[in-house]
Amino acid sequence: MNTMLETSKPAAPARGAAALPAGRDQLNGNPVGFKPDVITIKNLRIEYRSRELGSQKKLAVKDLSLSVHAGEVFGFLGPNGAGKTSTMNVLLGFVPPTSGTANIFGVNVQQTIARQRLGYLPELTYYYKFLTAEELLRFYSRIFGIEKAERERRIDAVLKLVELEHARKRLIKTYSKGMQQRVGLAQALINNPDLLILDEPTSGLDPLGRMKVRDIIKRLKNEGKTVFFSSHELGEVETVCDRVAIMHEGELKVAGRVDDLAQQHQCNLEQLFLKIVGYQPENL
Amino acid sequence: MKTNRAFVLLGVLLLVVCTGLAASLDRWFMGWQGNRAKNFNPLNVAIGDGQKIFAGQFYRKADVYFHSGMYPSIFDNNASFKTAHIGEDAGATGSKNQGDEANYLGKSHDIVEQFSRNFFPSHHTHLDEGGVAGELGDKSDVREILPWLKIAQELDPEEPLTYTVTAYWLRSRMNKPHEAERLLREGLKALPDHPALQFELGRIYFENQKDSARARNIWEHAVKSWQKQEGVKADPDTFILEQILTHLAKLEEEAGNLPLAISYWEQAKVYARKPDVIQQRIDELAPRKLVPNGPP
Amino acid sequence: MKNSFAVAQLVILEMYRRKDFYVLYFLTVLITGLMGSVNFFNDPKVARYLKEICLALIWICGAFIAIATTARQIPAERESRTIFPLMAKPITRGQVLFGKFLGCWVATCLCLVAFYLFFGIVAAAKEHDWPVGIYFQAWSLHCVMLGVVIGMTLLGSLVLSSVAANITLSVVITAGILFVGRHLNKVAAQMSETAGAMVSGLYYAIPHLELFDVRDLIVHNWPLIGWSIWGIAVVYALVYAGMLVLASWLVFRRKSFQ
Ligand SMILES: Nc1ncnc2c1ncn2[C@@H]1O[C@H](COP(=O)(O)OP(=O)(O)OP(=O)(O)O)[C@@H](O)[C@H]1O
Ligand SMILES: [Mg+2]
Repeated sequence: MNTMLETSKPAAPARGAAALPAGRDQLNGNPVGFKPDVITIKNLRIEYRSRELGSQKKLAVKDLSLSVHAGEVFGFLGPNGAGKTSTMNVLLGFVPPTSGTANIFGVNVQQTIARQRLGYLPELTYYYKFLTAEELLRFYSRIFGIEKAERERRIDAVLKLVELEHARKRLIKTYSKGMQQRVGLAQALINNPDLLILDEPTSGLDPLGRMKVRDIIKRLKNEGKTVFFSSHELGEVETVCDRVAIMHEGELKVAGRVDDLAQQHQCNLEQLFLKIVGYQPENL
Repeated sequence: MKTNRAFVLLGVLLLVVCTGLAASLDRWFMGWQGNRAKNFNPLNVAIGDGQKIFAGQFYRKADVYFHSGMYPSIFDNNASFKTAHIGEDAGATGSKNQGDEANYLGKSHDIVEQFSRNFFPSHHTHLDEGGVAGELGDKSDVREILPWLKIAQELDPEEPLTYTVTAYWLRSRMNKPHEAERLLREGLKALPDHPALQFELGRIYFENQKDSARARNIWEHAVKSWQKQEGVKADPDTFILEQILTHLAKLEEEAGNLPLAISYWEQAKVYARKPDVIQQRIDELAPRKLVPNGPP
Repeated sequence: MKNSFAVAQLVILEMYRRKDFYVLYFLTVLITGLMGSVNFFNDPKVARYLKEICLALIWICGAFIAIATTARQIPAERESRTIFPLMAKPITRGQVLFGKFLGCWVATCLCLVAFYLFFGIVAAAKEHDWPVGIYFQAWSLHCVMLGVVIGMTLLGSLVLSSVAANITLSVVITAGILFVGRHLNKVAAQMSETAGAMVSGLYYAIPHLELFDVRDLIVHNWPLIGWSIWGIAVVYALVYAGMLVLASWLVFRRKSFQ
């Protein structure tokens, strides 16, 4: 199981690898030493303009500045509607920022090449129903420009990792929700990415599945990958994350190392979270 | 799921088209199987008299085929196509055509039109003259007009022109006088004693079966039918009467009954478009009248 | 290009796994077979009506496959949210769009190959003739013409919010051009000055899809059209298709996915 990322050579970016700053060696070097930023967000503001006339703009994220260092697991927290998915949408170039900048590996997110070494698991997604898991992964790996032999090896490895080998030749439309979520994880890992952006990776999974996802995240960290993920499972976040950020109503409330925050505020992550969102039960 | 709905809708549309086709074909199949029972026809209910208009369209379609597809649209100058050439050439109807049939498109107005003329038929040809291949073509290719005439007849069984035109081409170019006769008899059931049908039937007897007695019989009958049916109208169709009379005249000429022949010519002259030609014929025949069974 | 091919391949795979084409093909074969079995005055050689019906069905099915397949591509990607994982890959929007266009087009052309093969068999059965040259011209002109229709539908799928509206509009525009496109200049000549100028402007602006309809030539056994004319027509269609794809790209480039 632990061979997934070792058996395969790193998926060499087909093009533009030289254009990327911060080479692989640095990233894979000592994670506690010098840590270049993998994600840098500066003064990000996201507004949604509504189609209907007369209705005003919806402010989803305001003045967000954040950076995620190489090799760390970063938890992105916040209640529903806090702006987590919106921020990720900007990071992936789906939505242009209203103002501010966002870079991945030092490349502006609007550029395609920024996504060569990135794996992304969307919040709610269905994959092409008329494909099998294997075909889906083959399709995505073609886009990453992975060589044919290498491609099949990667597909075997990720399917094994997410435990979908038995269903690899079945059409995705016959999958259960949890299985679809796992296909999502598999496609996010297909290019052996250096950065993973996961939007609620454990939603829809059974307790065993969640544990496995946590294991995968931990292993990725051990391999020197950077993981940026959002979650509502605070316990989970506490166990796997190096650092967390908590958003509320589009604003970044706190960010820092999990243990630092606990020390600073004299409470655990859950209590801190509830305090930030303004929930004050008598016993707190 | 929106896309699926669109699909279902389009599928239904196709189904409707197919049922429509099937409904019209049903009637036709029944006809072929000789089932003469008046059957319920949904198309009849749905479009009623519209059927007649459709029938006219299919009759036109036959004429389009007669021209191998080279035919003016409603946007073109169709003065030379007012009367379908299949009817005109069959001698089944008078002609209102005038102008240049070969060049109805005229000069092209612009470059697009100029270019577009490469993509559709652009020579005036008639199938019975060999069609596209000209003199080298197969003259019996005129059979290709049959399906549309058949549909026109099924849609409007009370249109005499469809029967006479079809019968003409069947017997004259396709060597199928039996089919022609059967069709005309079928027509006479729908249109009892119609002079045009009787006339065409007489032509089969006279020209194909060389049976003058039967031909004379039915043509004489046709003249009476004409007087009964058309003669009483304010604007009678004299074209067909002239046709019957001239054919009777020729028949009597051949049989040597010159006085009778001249009398038919005289009657025909009244309705003729070119009375002087007929007068000439009468003048030729008149001296011979005195000598019964004169030199041929 | 490689990315576009991957996307195109996906579209073709989808087409191949859906039932639409098979249903339409079956219907075409069925209707043609039915019509072919009708007896006209005991003359088994009557053939052209059957060729015309078969070709008409092929044109209807071809347009339907092209429009219905294209119209749902991008909306389905957005509705099922498959666009998110796709756009998170190193692929540009232009590549996605071009891949979609290419996939729809190639898939439609492949369907047409099957349809025209059937047509060839029907015609050969009746007329004992196999004029490959004109069949190729008819097929290729049909293909490039549908390329323009696909480009138009693709643009429609980005501009219009509903798939049904897009399908309807594309069908209406396509049918409209096929039926009256050729005559707009004559119509314009009979109109008042301003209206006439507008109609003749339209006449010059629209892609003249009706040019590519050489069914009458096949049905009535006319000779081939000149290959140079054919070449110009192909280029003409490709230019229009290219412009439509370009316009689609300009729209798609600015779209944000939410
Ligand atoms: N397409 C849109 N148009 C208008 N407003 C939007 C749109 N998408 C999101 N929003 C708004 O932006 C805000 C942030 O939404 P976002 O999806 O980023 O929240 P989130 O933190 O991911 O929440 P959750 O935990 O529920 O996933 C919300 O108030 C939401 O209503
Ligand atoms: Mg979210």
